[in-house]
Amino acid sequence: MAKSKQDRYEQIKRFESDLTQCMKCGFCTFFCPVYQEERIEPSVARGKNMMIRGLLAGELDYTKEYAERLNKCTLCMACTANCPAKANIPNVIVAARADTVKARGLKFPYNIIYRWLLPRRTLFGRVVRFASWFQGIFLPRTEGTIRHLSMFLSALGKGRNIPQIAPKFLRQIVPVVNKPPEGVKTTMTVGYFTGCMTDFVLPDLGKHVIDFLNRNGVEVIVPQEQGCCGAPVFLGAGDFDTGRKMADSNVKAFEGLDYIISDCATCTSALKDYPKFLADTPEREEAYTRFASTVFDISQFLVDVLKLPASAYKPSAEAKGKKVTWHDPCHLSRHLGITSQPRQIIKSIPSVEYIEMPNADRCCGMAGTFSLYYYDLSKQIADKKVEAIKSTGADIVASSCPGCEIQLIDSLLRNRVPVKTMHIMELLA
Amino acid sequence: MLEKKIITQLRKAVGKDAVLTSKEDLNTYSYDGTTTWAHAPEVVVLPTTTEQVSQIMKLADENKIPVTPRGAGTNVSGGSIPIKGGIVLCTTKMNKILDINKTNLTATVEPGVVLQDFNTALAKQGLFYPPDPVSFFGCTLGGNVAENSAGPYCVKYGVTKHYLLGLEVVLANGYTMKLGGVTVKNRTGYELMMLFTGSEGTLGLITKITVRLLPMPPARKTMIAVFDDMEVAGQAVSDIMGSGVVPAKIEFVDNFVIRRVEEMTPMGLPVEANALLILETDGSPAAVEADAQQILDILKKSGAKMPRLAKDDAEAAMFWKARSAGFAAVFGAAHTVMAEDVAVPRDKLAEFIRRLGEISKKSGFFIQLLGHAGDGNLHPTIFTDIRDKEQFAKAQETMAEIFRAAMELGGVLSGEHGIGLEKQRFLKEAMDPVAIDLMKKIKRILDPNNILNPGKIWEEERV
Repeated sequence: MAKSKQDRYEQIKRFESDLTQCMKCGFCTFFCPVYQEERIEPSVARGKNMMIRGLLAGELDYTKEYAERLNKCTLCMACTANCPAKANIPNVIVAARADTVKARGLKFPYNIIYRWLLPRRTLFGRVVRFASWFQGIFLPRTEGTIRHLSMFLSALGKGRNIPQIAPKFLRQIVPVVNKPPEGVKTTMTVGYFTGCMTDFVLPDLGKHVIDFLNRNGVEVIVPQEQGCCGAPVFLGAGDFDTGRKMADSNVKAFEGLDYIISDCATCTSALKDYPKFLADTPEREEAYTRFASTVFDISQFLVDVLKLPASAYKPSAEAKGKKVTWHDPCHLSRHLGITSQPRQIIKSIPSVEYIEMPNADRCCGMAGTFSLYYYDLSKQIADKKVEAIKSTGADIVASSCPGCEIQLIDSLLRNRVPVKTMHIMELLA
Repeated sequence: MLEKKIITQLRKAVGKDAVLTSKEDLNTYSYDGTTTWAHAPEVVVLPTTTEQVSQIMKLADENKIPVTPRGAGTNVSGGSIPIKGGIVLCTTKMNKILDINKTNLTATVEPGVVLQDFNTALAKQGLFYPPDPVSFFGCTLGGNVAENSAGPYCVKYGVTKHYLLGLEVVLANGYTMKLGGVTVKNRTGYELMMLFTGSEGTLGLITKITVRLLPMPPARKTMIAVFDDMEVAGQAVSDIMGSGVVPAKIEFVDNFVIRRVEEMTPMGLPVEANALLILETDGSPAAVEADAQQILDILKKSGAKMPRLAKDDAEAAMFWKARSAGFAAVFGAAHTVMAEDVAVPRDKLAEFIRRLGEISKKSGFFIQLLGHAGDGNLHPTIFTDIRDKEQFAKAQETMAEIFRAAMELGGVLSGEHGIGLEKQRFLKEAMDPVAIDLMKKIKRILDPNNILNPGKIWEEERV
């Protein structure tokens, strides 16, 4: 049965004002990390937007080439941030990806990963565990505290320095309810959205986050039913149906909690994007909107909600006496407008010297699955970030997005730059 | 459709990745900054060297394939739209700054260098290249030369052609020719470099550009003045220019833009003002101080409300940002935006603004106004919809009236955008017929097969 026109462009139509807002001035070419490497029009927001207009006008169709061009965007939002017309083309791109998935379906192996594996947390964990046994055989092991799996199926064989999968996942080592130690008064309760990375790869980071919050009077709940935030599924791949399933189960897992924190910028931003992209019914709209309003990035929570005094920030052993620079994850800076809070925290740490890097908010090129599809391009984008980090003379580059961190570790190692990558929480004792 | 063997040969010349042929990719080379025109090419080629450009031209010339040169496609004349299909030769991958010579005060660049990248590199060495089209974040220097572009700084510093010392040009038959050099003075033969400057890609492909530079002025100050009446603002500009002081920039913004910009990004602009002038002086600190005082005095006498210096750098930056956002405010305002680019003598600004008011009243079209008042180059703009045939025809007729009003005052058809497709129907009224004929003859000598950006500047004779 032929789908009606409305159906074919269902999601794009929801963002029509963004689509028409672009007046083709081409400013985005200067700020787009992908265009800056490729220097061709289909790479940049203006070109992608015009392609989508071409689709709506019936000049183009849901072809492989169309899907491919839409896919090649990190959703870093640098275009929108610098757009004189404030056209949010990343919105349009995500919506167009969703309509493309509807029209074309997902392709192997991503259909297996997105539709079947990511929504099943326990099974996903087992597969990750299984893959970890082989990781050492196929891939160079990384030094340092951060270990990672990445999307193992695709990353395998590409020669990337990826951190290892943890021997024990976070939720296997911490209880659901984590109360402040004796003698510390409980002032509030938060849910901890651990995200896949912290859960499977960085359980020590997760444990540290819980400890830090506990010591500062915060009770931390780690619901076992939470799953993947859905970013690679609905934002990356445009699979809104699966995205809704994941959103529903996450909303349910955190029911009754007024504050949810996350130490992953991508997760935080994706959770907050539920109402914008996934709300297809009034019920979901209401549930997602409420849920999104309770989600906080960890640094934002510490500074704006908990309002910790500067004295609460003491250096960890690794950070003591070091020069530290900050990389703004796109999902934190441009998506959520959180830029001052992490800087304030780092500057508060005694004995740590803060150095701002040039273009600190420029995309590192990771962008989740983007870096798997386009590893070479992703590396080129990352090399510019490495130059910026190098120019500061810092010992440590801090961030708060495990995705960015993986990219930074890989890129710094590849360029033989002896700067350590750390999560902002790891700077704190 | 182009023959397969042409595509194969192009791929051989520039590499597989530098030839785009998918329908999707071609779609993204079908437009520029205008809203009236679109046409997709049959292939896009992105060379990286002069030799490659030469090879492409030879192939195109032998096979009589149209070639439309394109930089970043930020132009607003229709000039880079491949209206005849064929090849788009896009220079964005030729983006190396080849030389910056601080002692000689010159720089040599490839055509795809983006103006803002060039400015950033120059600033690091305390150098300054004044031509500043508002599209500086996107536009390329090759495009700037081909369109002879300019922007706000033109009041004091002139336009692109005033900075050119040398060009390398690939002709339609693929021959690579060098013109000019790196010296400021050069009186060798005809000034052929100027043939290609502002040629809108119809005479040759610019593959190397040598420009002269200035030291970065050590000081600058921004002033703002609010007016109840646009005509009074126009007169104020004339008064300043006649007073013996030359500001670096004088920009004019109307109430429509003030409101729209304030809506898009609230920054505290005076939304009640009917006109806003944003001015800048630059030079040595003492001169800047004195010039600014003189300008503020004249503004006050001219009837400006509270003319003043920007409080600090942040406020100055805010006003300049408002000015550059004006483009977005205007071009996003309707389905079809017809922007004029007339320039009138600077002592006729007030008179021109008055006539625009009359035309607006008579035609019923709102005429939006912003532009580079300091050089008499305003952009009267009409909002219409090309899908509404009747209204569009009326809009076109109103545009013609605006242009004729400018001509009557001694003005020109295009100050800085070029003719392209957008203004060619007026060319016959704006230029001596012998001169138009001479242009066509020059075109025939340089491009006998009429493959270089065909269909631009003058209307084709209907056969």
